[in-house]
Amino acid sequence: MTGYDVAIESLPMQAVIDLKGEAAALAGWCGDVLPQFPARPNSLTRASGRALLHIGPGHWLLCADLADEDSLIAALRPDAAPPQVSVVPVSDSLAHFAVTGPDAAEVMAVATPLDLHPTVFAEDAASFTEAFGLRALVRRHPGGFALSVDRSFAPMILQALSLSAG
Amino acid sequence: MGGNGWRLAEGGRIDRSRPLRFRFDGRDHVGFHGDTLASALLANGVRLSARSFKYHRPRGIMGAGVEEPATLVHLAGELASGNRPATTLRLSDGLEAWPVNAWPSARLDIGAVNQMIARLIPAGFYYKTFKWPDWHLYEPAIRRAAGLAPAPATPPDGAWEARHAHADILIAGAGPAGLMAALVAGRAGARVILADEGIEAGGSLLTRRLSIAGAPALDWVTAAVAELAALPNVMHLQDAAVWACREHNLVMVEERAPSRPAILGRSWRVRAGRVITATGAIERLMVFEGNDQPGVMLASAAQAYVNRWAVRPGRRAVVFTNNDSAYAAAADLARAGVEVAAIVDSRDPVPEHARAASAGLPVLAGHVVRSTQGGRALRAVTVAPLAGGGARRIDCDLLAVSGGWSPAVHLYSQSRAPIAWDDRLAAFLPAGPAGPVAAAGAADGALELGVALADGAAKARAALADLGFAPPDAALPEAEDLPYGITPLWTVPGAGAKAFLDIQNDVTVADIELALREGYSSIEHVKRYTTGGMGLDQGKTGNVNIIGAVAERLGKTPGEVGVTTFRPPWTPVEFGAIAGRRSGPVVLPYRHTPLTDWHMDQGAVIYEAGARWRRPGYYPRLGEAFQDTVNREARTVREGVGIYDGAPLGKYEIKGRDAARFLDWIYTNVFSSLTVGNGRYGLMLTDDGLILDDGVSFRLAEDRFVMSTSTGNADAVGQHMEKLLQIERPDWQVMITNVTSQWANATICGPKARAVLQAMGTDIDMSPAAFPFMSVRDGRVAGLPARVARVSFTGELSFEVNVRPRDLPALWAAAMTAGAPFGITPIGSEANHVLRVEKGFLSLGHEVDGTADPHDLGMSWVMAAAKPDFIGKRSVDLRRASGRPRRELVGFRPLDPDRQVPEGAPLTPGGRTEATEGFVTACVWSVVEGRWLGLALLQDGRARIGTRAHVRLPGGVIEVELCPPVFHDPKGERLRS
Amino acid sequence: MLVLDCPFCGPRNESEFAYGGPALAPRPADPSAVSDADWVDWLTVPPNPMGEVEERWWHLRGCGAWLTVRRHTVTHAVTEVRLGR
Repeated sequence: MTGYDVAIESLPMQAVIDLKGEAAALAGWCGDVLPQFPARPNSLTRASGRALLHIGPGHWLLCADLADEDSLIAALRPDAAPPQVSVVPVSDSLAHFAVTGPDAAEVMAVATPLDLHPTVFAEDAASFTEAFGLRALVRRHPGGFALSVDRSFAPMILQALSLSAG
Repeated sequence: MGGNGWRLAEGGRIDRSRPLRFRFDGRDHVGFHGDTLASALLANGVRLSARSFKYHRPRGIMGAGVEEPATLVHLAGELASGNRPATTLRLSDGLEAWPVNAWPSARLDIGAVNQMIARLIPAGFYYKTFKWPDWHLYEPAIRRAAGLAPAPATPPDGAWEARHAHADILIAGAGPAGLMAALVAGRAGARVILADEGIEAGGSLLTRRLSIAGAPALDWVTAAVAELAALPNVMHLQDAAVWACREHNLVMVEERAPSRPAILGRSWRVRAGRVITATGAIERLMVFEGNDQPGVMLASAAQAYVNRWAVRPGRRAVVFTNNDSAYAAAADLARAGVEVAAIVDSRDPVPEHARAASAGLPVLAGHVVRSTQGGRALRAVTVAPLAGGGARRIDCDLLAVSGGWSPAVHLYSQSRAPIAWDDRLAAFLPAGPAGPVAAAGAADGALELGVALADGAAKARAALADLGFAPPDAALPEAEDLPYGITPLWTVPGAGAKAFLDIQNDVTVADIELALREGYSSIEHVKRYTTGGMGLDQGKTGNVNIIGAVAERLGKTPGEVGVTTFRPPWTPVEFGAIAGRRSGPVVLPYRHTPLTDWHMDQGAVIYEAGARWRRPGYYPRLGEAFQDTVNREARTVREGVGIYDGAPLGKYEIKGRDAARFLDWIYTNVFSSLTVGNGRYGLMLTDDGLILDDGVSFRLAEDRFVMSTSTGNADAVGQHMEKLLQIERPDWQVMITNVTSQWANATICGPKARAVLQAMGTDIDMSPAAFPFMSVRDGRVAGLPARVARVSFTGELSFEVNVRPRDLPALWAAAMTAGAPFGITPIGSEANHVLRVEKGFLSLGHEVDGTADPHDLGMSWVMAAAKPDFIGKRSVDLRRASGRPRRELVGFRPLDPDRQVPEGAPLTPGGRTEATEGFVTACVWSVVEGRWLGLALLQDGRARIGTRAHVRLPGGVIEVELCPPVFHDPKGERLRS
Repeated sequence: MLVLDCPFCGPRNESEFAYGGPALAPRPADPSAVSDADWVDWLTVPPNPMGEVEERWWHLRGCGAWLTVRRHTVTHAVTEVRLGR
């Protein structure tokens, strides 16, 4: 009764700021707090421990260690942002999991219909998709993949991933 | 087993050093590794192995693969499962199998009495006989008598997996064409999935004696499989049936013996750029009286048994054919030591190349087999000239029949690609223009090996070119094969009530003729009336014969008669494999609040309450009955203070220049006039004038609001708002962020709520003047950053203390500690329901059921008359203008205060058996009145307040008195206190 | 399961999307100026041919965009996917 050679790990909460608006307006308000804007949809850029994910039209997520949350909020001043820019801290909204190991792709294939082949899902890819019927963010992670879902679903996703790992 | 002469001393793809013991129909046998259950049964001399579905006629093994129509078995023990063709079951040690439709055994079958009344139960018998008064009276007994295998009583020990996969090119079938296609596609570097339902690759090459490039064809198969295994871009699955080819090239594969041992089976959902169906061809039966007897077998199956499994399926054979391929089968039987008494060919003349292929075997050209003799085993056949004339008897224990070949166009046709009748091959062939799904090899009508290999390569090259790959130089191996020719003979003259077209469902020529006589001339109707082609085998060996027989009788061509629709699955699939891991605890998603564990530790009864949240229904104390718990919790809120986990409440942040304008548009009332820091209750309609949701929105800044929605409708509201913005108002600047899981609230409610908050410690001025009803304040509560809203869904003084979910457990603990002196008590959704019904607050799914509009609910006050437009206004106005009576919200009290009324119960005029005039939307035991009371939607209800109405139930009528739909604090003084 | 080629995300499985109904004409700017019959027609009488239809899909488990999709009701062939209307 062997399962897949994979580790399922619950990752700590991250600082996540939801950013909406035109890129130029966001750049103007956020200044150099953000990494460079990603050039392609569903890709991310990194700088000084922060990642900027382009997850939808006029929609980005800024991710960093939770320790960086207060400084990010202080710098981005969500309550003072001008009308054309939406800055909303959403760190608590996402729960993150790492699926790593030689068989990580096998378990991910059970979870999601997204094609994660290296020729399709690049090193800097970051996209929302469907996993176990839920909206889920998929990124590459050292040794495998990171999967993020609405935190309320965390116990269910952990159970589903563990069952899938066998 | 040895010495009975059925098993050849050498040859075949079996391992004689690995015997396997098995049990069939209550008797012990031995086979070899490499056997199927069918080949092992034949090697043990078992000829009677099944009883037919309807008449319980004795049947044997007729095929050698998925086409098998006769011998279905169910497995006992660890492998328990039903209705498996014996020809596809890989033999394993200790296997225990039983025929599916025989009791107590196939040899002594009680149901065989049906044969004697066969002429009384023709096609349509059930439709005609059991329709009065009600089919359901008869169904259970008929299901038992005519059934197939029972479902296993317990779930199997183990799990299935369903997974997704992606391929540039998926190839169904690893016969010559499929392997050739896989080699070409694999060498070009495309991502290839090759899936084949057989235990090993090779397809027809496993069962025929052919050569490729001057060597045995199986050497070429071995080399091809090895080359594919070495290509990292190719995944090759065996024992993996491609069972569906659906829209946009979604291909379903069931892998039955995955290499990972913990899995019972695996279902692949493959999304492929191009699909090549190299699914081979299926031999047809010949149709004559007694063509279903044990000992009658497809010629290709007989050939497979001698070549692949080294089993003689008989000692003395007659071959009956209308085409060339059976001559090679006859030659192989003779080579294996089976005496071939005659090749009976309905054609005259017989092509020279066919005679040459079976040199020396006697051929009866222009002859047919009219009937068979023998009961449980074939003893002889009656042969006569097709044109009529003297019949003669030929003794034999094997009749190998070939009615020609039907390319397996099933997957191709499932993809909606067209097929068309081909006179030369007497078969339906793929006929579509080049598209994302292509057939190759025998499935494409390339029935000769060399042509099949070339076709496989060509289809792969075309797919590669479509996808932008450079096709490699194809080195096509040389191959020789017997040319194929056929002159169809759909039914032998004299074929009638014992000439079977569909072996599995016992459909005869006489049944087809009856259907035609009764006017069922469309092939789809013939199928449904006779059940021909509706068995587990989906008529693989019989459907084209049915079409041919119908065409013959209607004076049409088979092409004019047409085919029935090919639908998935190609072969039966385990339900478990489709579900995969999404079963048991994770069959549906579920959601936890940050406090779900706490609630469970408290012994709360947890259930799903909207949008998949697991929430506390009530918190019973030791020995406390359900109603006592709910009463205690509700009373606590009315008299003291309760605390409720409000984390699941839907919340959206709405930001942008046009945010206020947007809310004015989607709510029935006005939000642009709201001042910062204050909130307003709003009702949201869809443009059909019905209620989508309600909730309170607060203005955080000129350009920024936070909206709350009901828990169950949070996603629907998000969808509604985004659609309106992106589709109807792309020029408006509004940005919406779902913050449902970013703000979690503990709702502290009851007359002592303010005191509890003060005891917890807060920097917010809690005085009623500084913090009035329907306002929101940011600050700290119990040292935690919080946004506190004064709203109430219970009718009492109430504060929703919103914090980050990570802080909610700490906030909750602080409230429980600080609230202890005030008797704070956690309350569940049951008590919440009581409290809101006492106040007459509407609830989605209860009073808002998809038919009610705001006026019906007595909420005309929320319909801003001054606004020229809002979503839903036009349809409400239109419906109101009709003047037709509406069902309106009322309260009621049963005349008997102790009488509970079921929620959903209908109200009828005077309690009579008439059309309903409304229904009960809610009924609770009220703690303020000490009796049952409730709410209802009732026709013209408001005008009837003060009168009585009647709830009609199966057991009697409950009389209720109608009243305004509010039972507690009608002026709302308590919630504003 | 269809594949819809989202202009932002590329081809994605149907399970990422929610069907959002037929693609109605733009909502009348002033519904009160529209006759009852025209209003009902706009709201409830979308074309349903054996052929191409335009319909809305929401990429709710992907990028969040509302899309207009032109799909053949017999073959499922999708000939156009665009952002918004």
